[in-house]
Amino acid sequence: MSGDIFLTALPNSAAGSFLHRFANPGRFLRLSRWLLPLLTVVALVALAVGIVWGLWFAPADWQQGDSVRIMYIHVPMAILASSGYLALAVCGVLSLVWRHPLADLAAVEIGPVGAVVTAMCLATGSLWGKPMWGTWWVWDARLTSVLVLFFLYLGHIALIHAFDEPQRGYRAAAVLAIAGAVDLPIIKYSVNWWNTLHQPDSISLTSAPTMSTSMLAPLFICMIGFSAGFGALVVARVDAAILEGRARQLMTRRLPDQERAA
Amino acid sequence: MITTTRTGGRRGMTRKTRRLWLVLACVGCLGVATALVLNAFSSNIVFFMAPSQLRDHPPAGDRTVRLGGMVVAGSLARTTEGTTPVNAFEVTDGQAAIPVRFAGILPDLFREGQSVVALGTMQKDGIFRASEVLAKHDETYMPKEVAEALRKSGKWDPRFGKPPSAAEWDTMTRTEARKITAQGSGAPASNGSNGS
Amino acid sequence: MTHLPYIAASYGLVLGSVLILSLQAVLRLRSARRRLAMLETTRQRRTAS
Repeated sequence: MSGDIFLTALPNSAAGSFLHRFANPGRFLRLSRWLLPLLTVVALVALAVGIVWGLWFAPADWQQGDSVRIMYIHVPMAILASSGYLALAVCGVLSLVWRHPLADLAAVEIGPVGAVVTAMCLATGSLWGKPMWGTWWVWDARLTSVLVLFFLYLGHIALIHAFDEPQRGYRAAAVLAIAGAVDLPIIKYSVNWWNTLHQPDSISLTSAPTMSTSMLAPLFICMIGFSAGFGALVVARVDAAILEGRARQLMTRRLPDQERAA
Repeated sequence: MITTTRTGGRRGMTRKTRRLWLVLACVGCLGVATALVLNAFSSNIVFFMAPSQLRDHPPAGDRTVRLGGMVVAGSLARTTEGTTPVNAFEVTDGQAAIPVRFAGILPDLFREGQSVVALGTMQKDGIFRASEVLAKHDETYMPKEVAEALRKSGKWDPRFGKPPSAAEWDTMTRTEARKITAQGSGAPASNGSNGS
Repeated sequence: MTHLPYIAASYGLVLGSVLILSLQAVLRLRSARRRLAMLETTRQRRTAS
C-alpha cells in the first residue's frame, strides 16, 4: 500500500507540477531565508506597538472597565486557532490528493502551535468570563465548539506520531484534519445560529463594526502581530524539520559507507 | 481508498483528480451529516430560552432551565434576608416578561437594560426562581466617555437596551465625547442619571 | 486599572507561551543546523581521505 507512494508523488498534471515546485525542501529553505526574518520583525514590532497601545492608551470600556483589554489577545488567539486548523485541513488535502511531502512536514509543525493558541484562546476567554459573566465556563455552543477544536488539535498531534511508518501517520492525520474542519463553520456561526452566552462577533464583512475605532485600531495591530508570529513559528519549525530530515538521511547513508570501510 | 484509485487510474492525472473528487465527496457527505445532526439537536444546543418561549412551552414540572433576556428598566428591587441579598427583577424579550427571584450576589455587569441568563425553575405562581444569574455581554465595545456623551445628549438610555447603530458613535474620539458631555450637563433639562 | 489580576494573568499566560514556543524553535533550529554542519564536514573529510 505504501510502496508506490513515491511513484505516485511524481508530478504529472499542471496543478501537480505547480504545487510540487513548492514541495522542494531546498526551495522552502531558500524562501524562508528572507521570509523568516521578515515575519519575525513584523511580529515583534506589531506586538510591541499593539500590546502597549492596548494596555495603556486604548480607552476602558463603559461597562467592562479595563477587562476589555483581554480582548486584544483573546480575539487574535481565537482567529488563529481557527485559521491554524484551516491550514491543517489544506495540508491534509495536499497530502491526500497530491502526496505533497512538504504539506506533511507543515502539518506536523502547525499542530502543536495551533493547540497552544487554542488553549490560550480558552484560557483568556475564561479569565474574561469570570469577572464579566460571573463564571469561568459554560457549556454554550461557542465555548463547546472551541473546546472540540482543542481536542481535534490534540488528536491530530497524537495521530500523526502514532505509527512507526510516518506515511501512515500523515495519511491518518490528514483525514482527521479534513473531517474536523466541519467544526470551523460551527465555531464561526454558533453565535448566530443558537443563542449563546458568548456575544456575537463585533466585526463582520457586511456591517460597520460595533466597536469604537479607538479599540479597533490596537486590536487590528495585535492581530497582525500574532498572525506574523504564528507564521514565523511555523516557518522556523518547518525549517528545523527539513534540516533534521537531512541529517537523518546523511546518518543512514553513512552507515553503509562505514560498513564498507570496515 | 488508495486501492480503488490504483486499480482504476491509468494515468497519474486521473488518479489525482479521482482522489480529489473522493476527498471532496467525503467532505460534502460529512458536512451534510453534521448539518442534519445539528438541526435535529438544535433545541438542546441553545443555551437559554427567551421569556416568550418559556411562556409558550413551559417546562415540565421542576425541570431546571435557563432563562435569557433583558432586565426590564425599573423592575429591580434589592432587599436582604438576614445576610443574603435577595434580588427581584423582570426579564423580557420584547414579547413577554417573566419575574425572577434570585438570592445571592449578582455579577458586576448586572444592571437594568443588561442581558442576563438565569438558571432556575419556573414556579407555579409564575415566578422564576433562579439559583444562578450570569450577565450576558453584547457585541458593543464603547469607551466610557462616548457612552456618557450618548447618554447626556439623549441619544441612548442604557436602561432601555442596546445603543444606537454603531455608525453614529464608533469614530467618536474621547475628546469629542467629553466636549459633548460638557455641553449636555450645561443644558437645563438634562436627565442626569449617575447610576453607572 | 480594574480587574488587574485577570488582565495580568491573561497577558502573562499568552506572552509566556509565545516566549516558550519561540525559544524552543530557536534552539531546535540552531541544534539542527549545528548537527547538519557537523555531519557534512565528517562526510567531506571521509570523501577527501
